[in-house]
Amino acid sequence: MANADVIAAIATAPGQAGVGVIRVSGPSLQDFASRIAGGGGAPRPRHARHSRFVDGQGEVIDEGLLIYFQGPASFTGEDVVELQGHGSDAALRLLLARCLELGARLAQPGEFTLRAFFNHKIDLAQAEAVADLIAAESTAAVRSALRSLTGQFSRQVHALVERLVELRLRIEGCIDFADEAVDFLEQTDIRATLTGLRDAVDRLTGSAAQGLLLRSGCRTVLIGAPNVGKSSLLNAITEEDHALVTDIPGTTRDLIRASVFIEGVPYHMVDTAGIRETADVIEQAGIERTWQAVEQADLALVVADIRNGLTEGDRQLLSRLPQDMPREVVYNKADLASADQRARAGTVVSAVSGEGIPELKRHLLQMAGWNPGTEPVFLARERHRAALSQARFHLETALEVADSFELLAEELRLAQNALSDITGEFSSDDLLGEIFSRFCIGK
Amino acid sequence: MQFPKKFDVIVVGGGHAGTEAALASARSGCETLLLTHSLETLGQMSCNPSIGGIGKGHLVKEIDAMGGVMALAADAAGIQFRILNSRKGPAVRATRAQADRVLYRQYIRHALENQPRLTLFQQPVDDLIVHAGQVRGVVTQMGLRFEAPSVVLTAGTFLSGLMHVGLEQNPGGRAGDPPAVALAHKLRELSLPAGRLKTGTPPRLDGRTIDYEKMGVQPGDEPVPVFSFIGNADQHPKQVPCWITHTTEKTHDIIRAGLDRSPLFTGVIEGVGPRYCPSIEDKIHRFSDKASHQIFLEPEGLSTHEIYPNGISTSLPFDVQWALVRSIPGLEQAHILRPGYAIEYDYYDPRALKASLETKAIGGLFFAGQINGTTGYEEAAAQGLLAGINAARHSHGLEAWWPKRDEAYLGVLVDDLVTRGVTEPYRMFTSRAEYRLQLREDNADLRLTEQGRKLGLVSDERWHAFENKREKVEMEIQRLRSTWLRAGQVSVPEALRVFGQPLERDHSLLELLRRPHTRYADLMSLSGTPPDESLAPDAADQVEVQVKYEGYIARQQEEVARHRDQEHLLIPDNMDYARVRGLSREVEQLLTRHRPQTVGQASRIAGVTPAAVALLLVHLRRSTAPILQEPRSA
Repeated sequence: MANADVIAAIATAPGQAGVGVIRVSGPSLQDFASRIAGGGGAPRPRHARHSRFVDGQGEVIDEGLLIYFQGPASFTGEDVVELQGHGSDAALRLLLARCLELGARLAQPGEFTLRAFFNHKIDLAQAEAVADLIAAESTAAVRSALRSLTGQFSRQVHALVERLVELRLRIEGCIDFADEAVDFLEQTDIRATLTGLRDAVDRLTGSAAQGLLLRSGCRTVLIGAPNVGKSSLLNAITEEDHALVTDIPGTTRDLIRASVFIEGVPYHMVDTAGIRETADVIEQAGIERTWQAVEQADLALVVADIRNGLTEGDRQLLSRLPQDMPREVVYNKADLASADQRARAGTVVSAVSGEGIPELKRHLLQMAGWNPGTEPVFLARERHRAALSQARFHLETALEVADSFELLAEELRLAQNALSDITGEFSSDDLLGEIFSRFCIGK
Repeated sequence: MQFPKKFDVIVVGGGHAGTEAALASARSGCETLLLTHSLETLGQMSCNPSIGGIGKGHLVKEIDAMGGVMALAADAAGIQFRILNSRKGPAVRATRAQADRVLYRQYIRHALENQPRLTLFQQPVDDLIVHAGQVRGVVTQMGLRFEAPSVVLTAGTFLSGLMHVGLEQNPGGRAGDPPAVALAHKLRELSLPAGRLKTGTPPRLDGRTIDYEKMGVQPGDEPVPVFSFIGNADQHPKQVPCWITHTTEKTHDIIRAGLDRSPLFTGVIEGVGPRYCPSIEDKIHRFSDKASHQIFLEPEGLSTHEIYPNGISTSLPFDVQWALVRSIPGLEQAHILRPGYAIEYDYYDPRALKASLETKAIGGLFFAGQINGTTGYEEAAAQGLLAGINAARHSHGLEAWWPKRDEAYLGVLVDDLVTRGVTEPYRMFTSRAEYRLQLREDNADLRLTEQGRKLGLVSDERWHAFENKREKVEMEIQRLRSTWLRAGQVSVPEALRVFGQPLERDHSLLELLRRPHTRYADLMSLSGTPPDESLAPDAADQVEVQVKYEGYIARQQEEVARHRDQEHLLIPDNMDYARVRGLSREVEQLLTRHRPQTVGQASRIAGVTPAAVALLLVHLRRSTAPILQEPRSA
């Protein structure tokens, strides 16, 4: 690192815990490790050592495990020391203060990862995955973040870029070395190659979209007439009492939010005030908020009382939803319904008995487009999805202009530019290098 | 002796860089001196007898658009003209001419001798006069001192030039010319970063000993293309064809048997040669599965039988050269007039230059051409033009000028050189230009002539021709936009002929021309569509290209605009990269060494990652922030 300084931070989450970890990274930490342990010589790399941690006067602050990683064989690529002490905030703060006394400075958020990135320990997509891993709440998200961390996502994008470069070097070869007696295309079917590339982008986009879902979750709004059991349904889906439930229509005045993981996908549910004509000013304000919540939602559950079927009010409500918003009418209170009423309804649930709730959850997954299928899921960021979609656009355009070499070349360049957001830059010099190594150029 | 006359600009060297530099400087109003070791070789084509080609033709047209001489000389000396890539689109279309060496040299000499404010003088330059970090002039071999505030050095391959034939070496700047050893030593003393490069040339043949019956013929294009925007085909001398033959398995065996005496393969040559212009021994070694390589036989001129066999550049010993030539179909009896050879020479790392081509270390000292690690007449001439312009501006106390990457191949060339440096002799390719679609041969004048006029480089004659063309093009596009073709006006067979489908509703002519397969000439063949006065072919082409590419050009310009802020954000000269938080040591060292002038340049230095650029931007914005936030005193 340019600023050859030592950084330190508490690596574990705040609060009482059995173990707390402080991580230190810097160019040379042997001496640092030996001083914080109050002597005992240089630590052996990659060995856990039981140690006292002492302050400047030799007083013991805490005791625990000290692990020394010698750079570059460490997470950041520099020397790293991990101090595993007791997990109380007070003890950890004392220990951290001692580290700062010994010359470390407090690390900025993400700075360890940044150093790892700069020391070529991880690529950009991996660096982002580390941040995701720390923030990941569900096990599916953790698995997916780990997959990105090991570079699988980058690897797939790289593989895609390699195929793109392969086509580009042939096209650019045809253009820049037209007066050479070299067959650059070697029976390459340009259209078939472009179609293959586009489909590969689509598959990756699918995986990335799944990752995005894991990362950002799905905002789901519950709407309907008053007293159809929206709040009960929220409680039933989340299996917690988030919302106050009474028999009195209009009980819910404000928005109630709750999150639930369904097969690892976070659903951010919003329960809303029932929609009806009302003179109550507070209730009116609540209804206004309901519509605001609808605007921000990814999908809507329209809750109806199974005994009334789909009312005129429900129909109006459905027509007011944004056109492309996935929606489902949920007929609640199945426990009170007659066989006849059940037969007329579609998705039937009972928030009270729990009937139909597991089916509804599965349906919610479908509506959000959750389809882990056979492709691996990567914890993608919006940035990745945008890059893939841009690349796809240019590949599609390339197919349209494939007859004109210079336009085709331009679209391919732009497609690669889009992906370089994920994979890093690729210069024209790199491309020429590929051409020279593959073909015999030069009269 | 102190030469009595004082100059504004001294140009050292009379090759393609030196002549354009001297002409540009004199045209823009400076008293200019061109010093060469030999007036006989002004404008000499030391290697192959051709001008232009893909990427290079683009440079020639740009030089021409700014009033340079190369295109005019090629028109006067061209004995075969071709348009390459004619079917791959207007942006990558490129002009190439075989040139008669003698006619070319004569044209250049004539232009130099008739250029007002330009003085020629024959003497090798041995030393530079430098005081307090500023160049003051030069000293020649016989001790003559010339003074000027700007000096342009275009030493080509002459700096400590060393020629190889087999394991024999001889000092030389080119076959028959002595190297510049004293000057090379003086330059090395200035402790500018230097290196060695290598290039080569094939044996030359006597055309009377060649059996053309056994070869393919390659005629020039009809109608014969023209290089200069103000040239015409009548200026061309007689046109002749080139010939094509190829190496055989026997040739390859001969070469393989001679590799133990090759200076390339025995490690005698240390300089790095160009990958795109390898010697024949290199090609056979690296692509051993290729059974044959093509060879173009290019006539050296109308007044000589000498032939340049393009494709067998070699530094093998002469006996191997002799045998390998005679193993080629048609060359069984060929006589070699001059042996092929490789040459190693000093070049100076162009990253030590500003984009004006002035050295960062010594004020007023400019480098242009092969000394900067480039190869090719066109690359040299383009740099010469730029260095000449800026040497003149330096002498007049004016700010430097250079085109940007989206304006000209010259901009791409100079930016690549000063930001990325070279690892092998640098040659232009169209794939180096990210804004390729707008940097076309056909619009080089539209891109640069106005700027050239502002810089004082463009003659009245050229300016009027340009203004006339520009106006014609604009008016015609306007007319196409406002002229409508009614659906009923065109018969079905006529519509099928021009559009490939019936015309179903009314369209403006502009809309119709925008269709990919509709040609301007065809459109103008319909009744009621042509202008009152038909357009000159080059103006008509321009109209067609501009209309068809409108969408693409607009998109590229958006890309340019998107990058502009970052591209032109200046980095302070005294920037301390150690203070940029988070930069890896590697990147810090790179930036400290190259001292880019803008963030755009920094981003193109090999090894500078996008993340590092982001950190640099954060730093630059942060370090200016406190000044902006300081409360104003009452």
